[in-house]
Amino acid sequence: MKRNGFFLILSLVMGAAVPLLGALDPVAVPKEGEPEGRIVVLNVNPVDQAFRYDIFQKSEGEKDWNFIISYTHLDEEMLFDINNGVPTRFKVTALDKDLNVLEEAVTEPVVTEAMWFNTKRIVRFIAMILFSGIILYYIRKARQMKEIYLRPIAGLKAFEEAVGRATEMGKSVLYVPGIMDLDQVETISGVIILGHVAKMTARYEANLNVPVSRSLVMEAAREIVNESYLSEGRPDLFNPDMVHYYTDDQFAFAAAVDGIMLREKPAAVFLQGKFYAESLILAETGNSIGAIQIAGTGSPSQIPFFVTACDYTLIGEEFFAASAYLGKDPKLLGSIKGQDIIKGAIMITILLGVIFESLGFTFFKDIFNL
Amino acid sequence: MEKKTVKPENIQSILATDCGSTTTKAILIEKQGDEYRLVTRGEAPTTVEAPFEDVTKGVLNAVKEVEELRGRTLLNEDKIISPQKGEAGVDIYISTSSAGGGLQMLVAGVVKAMSAESAERAALGAGAIVMDVLASNDGRMPHEKISRIRHLRPDMILLSGGVDGGTISHVVEMAELLRAANPKPRLGINYRLPVIYAGNKKAAPEIEKNLGEVTDLSVVPNLRPVLERENLGPARDKIHDLFMEHVMAQAPGYKKLMDMTHAPIMPTPGAVGSIIQVIARDENISVVGVDIGGATTDVFSVFKDPDSDEPVFNRTVSANLGMSYSISNVLAEAKLENILRWVPFDINETDLRNRIGNKMIRPTTIPQSLEELKIEQAIAREALRLSFVQHKSFAVGLKGVQKERTISDTFDQSSTGETLVNMMDLDLLVGSGGVLSHAPRRHQSARMMIDAFLPEGITQLAVDSIFMMPQLGVLASVHEKAATEVFNKDCLLRLGTCIAPVGSVKPGKDFVTVKLELPEGKVFNQTIPFGDMILIEAPYTPVKAEIIPVRGVDVGDGPGNAIQTTIYGGLVGIIIDARGRNPFILPPNPADRVQKLQVWSQAVKEFES
Amino acid sequence: MAHAYTPGLKVLAKTMLTKTRRLPLKGNVKVKKGDLVKADDIVAHTDLPGNVFPVNVANFLNVDPSELDDFMIRKEGDVIRKGDILAETKGIFGLFKSSVKSPVAGTLDSYSKVTGQAIIRENPIPVNIHAYIDGVIDEVIPEEGVVIRTTAAFVQGIFGIGGERRGAIKILTDKPGDTLTADLIDDSCKGKVLVGGAFMTLDAFKKAEKIGVEGIIVGGFNYKDIKDIVGYDIGVAITGEEPVQTTLIVTEGFGEIPMAEQTFNLLKDHEEEVASINGATQIRAGVIRPEVIICLDEIADNKIKSADVKGMDIGTVVRVIRAPYFGLLGEVTELPHALQKLESGSMARVAKVKIYKQNKEVMLPRANLEIYETK
Repeated sequence: MKRNGFFLILSLVMGAAVPLLGALDPVAVPKEGEPEGRIVVLNVNPVDQAFRYDIFQKSEGEKDWNFIISYTHLDEEMLFDINNGVPTRFKVTALDKDLNVLEEAVTEPVVTEAMWFNTKRIVRFIAMILFSGIILYYIRKARQMKEIYLRPIAGLKAFEEAVGRATEMGKSVLYVPGIMDLDQVETISGVIILGHVAKMTARYEANLNVPVSRSLVMEAAREIVNESYLSEGRPDLFNPDMVHYYTDDQFAFAAAVDGIMLREKPAAVFLQGKFYAESLILAETGNSIGAIQIAGTGSPSQIPFFVTACDYTLIGEEFFAASAYLGKDPKLLGSIKGQDIIKGAIMITILLGVIFESLGFTFFKDIFNL
Repeated sequence: MEKKTVKPENIQSILATDCGSTTTKAILIEKQGDEYRLVTRGEAPTTVEAPFEDVTKGVLNAVKEVEELRGRTLLNEDKIISPQKGEAGVDIYISTSSAGGGLQMLVAGVVKAMSAESAERAALGAGAIVMDVLASNDGRMPHEKISRIRHLRPDMILLSGGVDGGTISHVVEMAELLRAANPKPRLGINYRLPVIYAGNKKAAPEIEKNLGEVTDLSVVPNLRPVLERENLGPARDKIHDLFMEHVMAQAPGYKKLMDMTHAPIMPTPGAVGSIIQVIARDENISVVGVDIGGATTDVFSVFKDPDSDEPVFNRTVSANLGMSYSISNVLAEAKLENILRWVPFDINETDLRNRIGNKMIRPTTIPQSLEELKIEQAIAREALRLSFVQHKSFAVGLKGVQKERTISDTFDQSSTGETLVNMMDLDLLVGSGGVLSHAPRRHQSARMMIDAFLPEGITQLAVDSIFMMPQLGVLASVHEKAATEVFNKDCLLRLGTCIAPVGSVKPGKDFVTVKLELPEGKVFNQTIPFGDMILIEAPYTPVKAEIIPVRGVDVGDGPGNAIQTTIYGGLVGIIIDARGRNPFILPPNPADRVQKLQVWSQAVKEFES
Repeated sequence: MAHAYTPGLKVLAKTMLTKTRRLPLKGNVKVKKGDLVKADDIVAHTDLPGNVFPVNVANFLNVDPSELDDFMIRKEGDVIRKGDILAETKGIFGLFKSSVKSPVAGTLDSYSKVTGQAIIRENPIPVNIHAYIDGVIDEVIPEEGVVIRTTAAFVQGIFGIGGERRGAIKILTDKPGDTLTADLIDDSCKGKVLVGGAFMTLDAFKKAEKIGVEGIIVGGFNYKDIKDIVGYDIGVAITGEEPVQTTLIVTEGFGEIPMAEQTFNLLKDHEEEVASINGATQIRAGVIRPEVIICLDEIADNKIKSADVKGMDIGTVVRVIRAPYFGLLGEVTELPHALQKLESGSMARVAKVKIYKQNKEVMLPRANLEIYETK
């Protein structure tokens, strides 16, 4: 009866200013425990012979009432979405079978607010702190020169070897950073890895040949190769023509690269980036000229072709981790280590969830369901 | 010079000497019935340095001692009588030499892990000490390389690089550096430095142009004609020839010695390498040999290359790991805690460092107290372990080789350049050098070798008691039968066999069951718990053995599989090392460790009780 | 194995000795046979070829190495200043030229038409060899160096660090068994060669180096402290090139071990006199020991000869050079012929030695004894 008392006082205060305050007695209040606010609960008293209740809404500053929804029964909880911080009124109209208005009432303006803390997402919050903490911890550890173990990836260890082979044989190193533009993360990864390979060719004084199929990639690749030669103290060996553009067309580009392979017979071929149907054409040609080939891509559909035709293949994650692996930058190494730990933790959590759910215990799921 | 040679089947007696930097050792081998046996040996101080300056004096002194001990005439004034006439003289005389610091070489190639590594392998295999390896990608600036070359003053340089038809510019660049440095040989200022070129044949004319005038250049076939194959033979042979012609010819008295011998004088380690190769080939086994000296430690190995199934020989010299001159360096490289982990008592760090320093400056002292002996043997374990680590990282497969793949390799891509040293395949481990050969008890030698090398599965242990391997190595080049017979019968002291299951379980849990049919009908049948060492005394005769490891533990036939085989005992016997492998861990807590060390010591009767 | 013991280190009050002073490369000898020289005199001179700098001219110009002849401005043998143009392309109508400048001053040694490299050799570095000791030129090795003969008091140490230095001797401890501590060293020690007793602390060495002491001769030193001084572990006993300002000569060994009475007294007799010292040590074939040479004001003649190394006999005074009894002196009382078993289990030739300090007789392996040579 508290509510009636409340409205009694309210009506006394408001006086005749509020017309038609009837038995409907609609009350709108913000829903409790909504971290983001916005949700309003509307309570309405049923009216005899009412067949339908139409609900309207009007925010401050609006002229007209907006129809929202009609109800025939009032037994379910009525929840409405409004904008935070905007006082909004609701109007309820009770209608009979012939759609005559039985009664009409308007609520007081209601204002919702977002909470400072979203308690529902506390698990995510903890996870974020934990995950960032783990990554930061490993970055720090890597910086303090604590040896970070990285699973030996044969393909990455072979980079140096492939460049060495080209050097001994007096042949060039061919590097293809995929056929896509810089909007693909694989192309970016391919260009970054090119930087490392260019450092090696600078150190070994081997020739580097980088055909590309996008103009933007050419600019980026030139820049990174130049930087690599500078950082190795061999600007004299750098030549912008090392990186050259052929064509945007997929198969024309594949034909051009095949042509280079057959004419120059490079001793090392790197295929690192996004590839499509041309992958096997390139890899097979490379294989036929006896080059050490190292492929790397994130496209699952191309991996089988690369694995069979190349000496080494970097698969998915390995390809993206390559830069950290080759550069030995503690920041990258540490974050990779941290990410791996987190991935491990997530895998364990999923596994536990599956086990508990299968056995019928729900508490584990509930932890994440706040 | 033409020498009268006796047909191999008619050879009755062989005299061999090894001119070390301090002692010259002579051995006399005679045919007794159908087989060749060592009959006596003698030694005398080496006489390369002042006041004698004639190596043959020391040789003759050593031979005189043999003469006296055998009671036969071998010498006619200053000549060795040859061939044998009645009781006088010998049919063959051969010699090795490591006097004057051995053969010191500088090696250069194009890529450090490829042609430079092959060149290093060729030089080491020929018995040289490799002072430095220069390569295009070794990270040094050209002027740094030049000052390094100048500083080193090697006896000889081996230049390689480029496959046949491969890079020319890199090799010529190396040659230009050599020419700019214009290095001088170590011995004698008045002859040109011998340089061997064993690289890309297409570059040979350019190399000739660069180095022909300033050095004594010899061109031999490429030691890495293609990346997939090494061809070290020609380079090795050339090193031996030049060693004779130039380096030895500069050393006092060697010309005379060369005239005396029936086969070319070989550098001592090269000769040791060749006898080890002969043994491995004849018996089709994998062998590791180690010679731990005062200044350096040599490791030799013959293992099968898993790809080609061919036996591959490797030698490494750990130039600064030794038991006297280099003992402080063992401490510096191994770190104190690694040495202390083998010492079964507490010792103050400053005190230990001073003791080691004093051994370095007074290298000839010997351990008098048991405590000193234990410290020395702890250091020996680390010196051996470190040189074996170096060996493992050098004895690797060829790098830069194309691989063939199938789809099954997706998640298991093997890489190249993996070590060839597979302890499970190792059949015979031979130790030599003062600390192993002259340990007061053979049990200590066995323990040192087991702790340092951590053999896996079944491995026979032996020591070369009087370091006869060099002489036998040269002998193998003239008379292989005699060399192998003497090696097996007289050179090696068989210590026994080590059985070391690979894997680990909780301490005290059952690890392996061993059943042995010992001589005189005795049977050994026992299950050994993890963490124990057990010694079963058995002579050097065949023993039928059945070894049954617990699940997940490997004794040579895969995890959990039992094996039946024949093993041999020896002066020590059969040692079952159930301390686990991969990982092998000593208790981290000092008190536990000391207690364990003492228990193991007692179990293998390391010290007389 | 009759000579298993280490011959003792020399401590000679008066001896004729010769020093060979050799150039690293062939050069000019500045003195004649029979000349009298002072320690600071230059006896030989040469020019070490300067460092070599390769410059890849062909790559800088982006031309083929085989065409290099057309582009080189400087010829082989030309003297070059830093920044001089070595080679230049013709460009188009004199425009768009590219050129290569020399990174260093020196001489253009050669250039290669295969690799495209030009090799520039920096100016030579002059090397002067000083006499190091006062004496007379005994022999001239043409173009290589000289042999100097002198009469001197001569002391060998067992281990040293640092190279050749000279200074007046100053005795800091009263007795050879005293410890040389930092508070004994003051500013008056600058430029001197200090002599201490049984042991020197690390602090003392550091202070001496700071003050500018030329050298220190001491009985014992902690092996561990050497790492603090030179910055790295001396793993192999080949020394003489360490980056230290003060040469250290250890006469007896590592740890606390009194300087031999004779050594100490000999140095004391020559207090205030200038000594030439060298810490260079090489304990391998061709042994080099650190040395202290105090030249005497006498004309060197060939009559004084250093004593031959004598064998060990009953009555020989020996020093034990390995634990236990390390560093103690004693007298040989018996030399059994047969090999004897040691505590460690090894068989070795032994000697019975009466240890002076403890006044007891013990059996010790001969390998661990050193003849205490005095003269």
